Amino acid sequence: MTYSSSVAASKQGYARKGQNAVSFVAATRTLGPISNTIILIVLACLIGLLYLTQVTKTNSYGYTINSLQQQQSELQDQKANLEVTSARLQSLERVASSEVAKGLVSVAPSGSLSQ
Amino acid sequence: MRLSLSSPGAEAAAPKSNRRLSVWYGLLILILAIFIARLFYLQIVRHDYYRAQALADQQKEYTIPAARGTIAAKSGSGSVALVLNEKLYTLYADPAFIKNATEAAAKVAAVTNADKAEYAKAMKTKNSRYVVLARRLGEDQKKQISDLKLPGVGTQAQQYRTYPQGSLAAQVLGFVNNDGQGTYGVEQALDKTLMGTPGRLKAITDAQGVPLAASRDNIQVDPKPGKDLVLSLDLGMQRQLETILKQGLEASRSDSGGALIMEADSGAIRAMANLPTYDPAEYFNVSDAQRFNNATVSSPLEVGSVMKTLTISAALDLGVVKADTTYADPNHWKLDDHEITNIEEIGGPGTRSMTDILNRSINTGAVWLLMQMGGKTGEVTQTARERWHDYMVNHYRLGKATGIEQGYEAEGSIPDPKSGYALQLTYANTAFGQAMTATPLQLAAALAAILNGGTYYRPTLIDSIIDSSGKAEPKKPEALRTSVVKPSVGSELKAIMEYSVAHHTFKKPFPANFSVGGKTGTAQIANPAGGYYDNRYNGIYLGFVGGDRVQYVIAVRVNEPKVGKYAGSGAAQPLFGELAQMLINDFNVTPRSGG
Repeated sequence: MTYSSSVAASKQGYARKGQNAVSFVAATRTLGPISNTIILIVLACLIGLLYLTQVTKTNSYGYTINSLQQQQSELQDQKANLEVTSARLQSLERVASSEVAKGLVSVAPSGSLSQ
Repeated sequence: MRLSLSSPGAEAAAPKSNRRLSVWYGLLILILAIFIARLFYLQIVRHDYYRAQALADQQKEYTIPAARGTIAAKSGSGSVALVLNEKLYTLYADPAFIKNATEAAAKVAAVTNADKAEYAKAMKTKNSRYVVLARRLGEDQKKQISDLKLPGVGTQAQQYRTYPQGSLAAQVLGFVNNDGQGTYGVEQALDKTLMGTPGRLKAITDAQGVPLAASRDNIQVDPKPGKDLVLSLDLGMQRQLETILKQGLEASRSDSGGALIMEADSGAIRAMANLPTYDPAEYFNVSDAQRFNNATVSSPLEVGSVMKTLTISAALDLGVVKADTTYADPNHWKLDDHEITNIEEIGGPGTRSMTDILNRSINTGAVWLLMQMGGKTGEVTQTARERWHDYMVNHYRLGKATGIEQGYEAEGSIPDPKSGYALQLTYANTAFGQAMTATPLQLAAALAAILNGGTYYRPTLIDSIIDSSGKAEPKKPEALRTSVVKPSVGSELKAIMEYSVAHHTFKKPFPANFSVGGKTGTAQIANPAGGYYDNRYNGIYLGFVGGDRVQYVIAVRVNEPKVGKYAGSGAAQPLFGELAQMLINDFNVTPRSGG
């Protein structure tokens, strides 16, 4: 028996390592409780962030609304002031004391129309 | 043989280490439990308390004022503003923040054109954090003040009523006091309509008080602006009436008086004024509150002989006399031991007509008419008193407020026909306008009811009410009573009053194609001590202008003119003449169809 054949024979004589081990591979993969907790915390944080973003955005719109309302109010004030100025300029007192009115001549009715 | 890797020393350390871990673990649990318990206490048990505390700091509640409605008068087919709103500013100082009062005062006074020394004194006021330096600053002045950026000096916006036509129709309008309440005139009578409903904003705010939009607790209720009023007053007519009234009072040397022009077919007041008047923009400078009163509506008086128009109408309507009836006038009646006589110019007893009673203003004639209502000449029976009382109160609505849109309207007074002192004498006096009181407005409304065919319209100053959407709701004439008198009575009275005008002297004759009628009244003024003053009279005139139909009724009142004994013909009649001419010349009175 040659050395090489003896080696081959010896290899055939012994069992392979781990030849009796049973391996099990799960059909579906599941997360453990720690992973679940971490994911939940991350999700809660994300939702919180989303909420905060929305609230901040809404509040910034609130400032815009407030600013627009102020503008609207100022424009309304300006309109009211212009109306007052216009009414003052058209007042009978002012019209009566105008240069045009001073130049008018009073004319007594010369008669009356009959139907 | 079992192979063990641990040494005997390590076996002893393991339980010790586990115990230490357990202690730490327990401690951690305990701390967490304390935290949880504390949080539970703060957030659950004391929830309401801390929520309230937080809201108190963060939540603010604002009242959003509603814009007060404006007031306009008619002018042609449109309208012209009489009362508007204007935002003006109050200038104030907080002395605690002012370092150099003299310098700050000089800068501020240069803007407001005020005395800088006074400002400096105000700015140095001790124990005060708020000193008003000036009121009613305009937008430009406010901006100039803001640009100065003076610490401790600020402006505060406030809405004010402004009057582009000045004091025109001031007593009809009234004013708005510092508390925002309408006082006197239309402002008082229609305060709720003009005021609107304030809005409300309840919101979480930031540090600067700006509402944060993302709060579910925010409440916003928008204000509802007040409604705008368009008065039935005609701007041009009102202005001319005030001018004529002023001239008339000056001519008769009277301190006060009033006049009104009413549409006979609707009760709409087209012009109404009293003198002396005031500037409603500066009502706070008026020391005599009587100036605020619209005396035409709120100050009743013994109306004198203008009442005879109503007495004749009642007698004609009852059928106890006819328009062409004549009677023997004794020139005096003795009732309840008192004598009723006439003015000297009547010229003693004689046969008189209905036209004479009015044209010559015969007191005994008016009493005779009253006696006929009871069916017994020489005595004012209870029947006569009750029938006349019925006409005064129920037909002519004297002694009752008309309900015109004015503050402090007076009712006047009509004596009880069944009980009281010297009832015959008292009631005889009412037949010619003494021993009773009424306002010129009540008289005008009653005369209009007789002349328009018998419908008593509630006198009104409102032409239309405009809501915030701009929708105008016209005010319809409101008939308070029909069949005040028969239509024929109106025609008969119209002719009698025309006769009276035709036989009195006016400065200018009226055009023949127009119908103008009227009656003077001179009423003695009651002495609070009893009886009447011998030398104090009020003059009244009640008349109309129109064509085939009476278009306008005019009432004029002149208080204690210095024109002698006949205040009615001497002071009120010329005023009526001017007003009637004005209406004919400028306000499209429809002439007679046959003219």
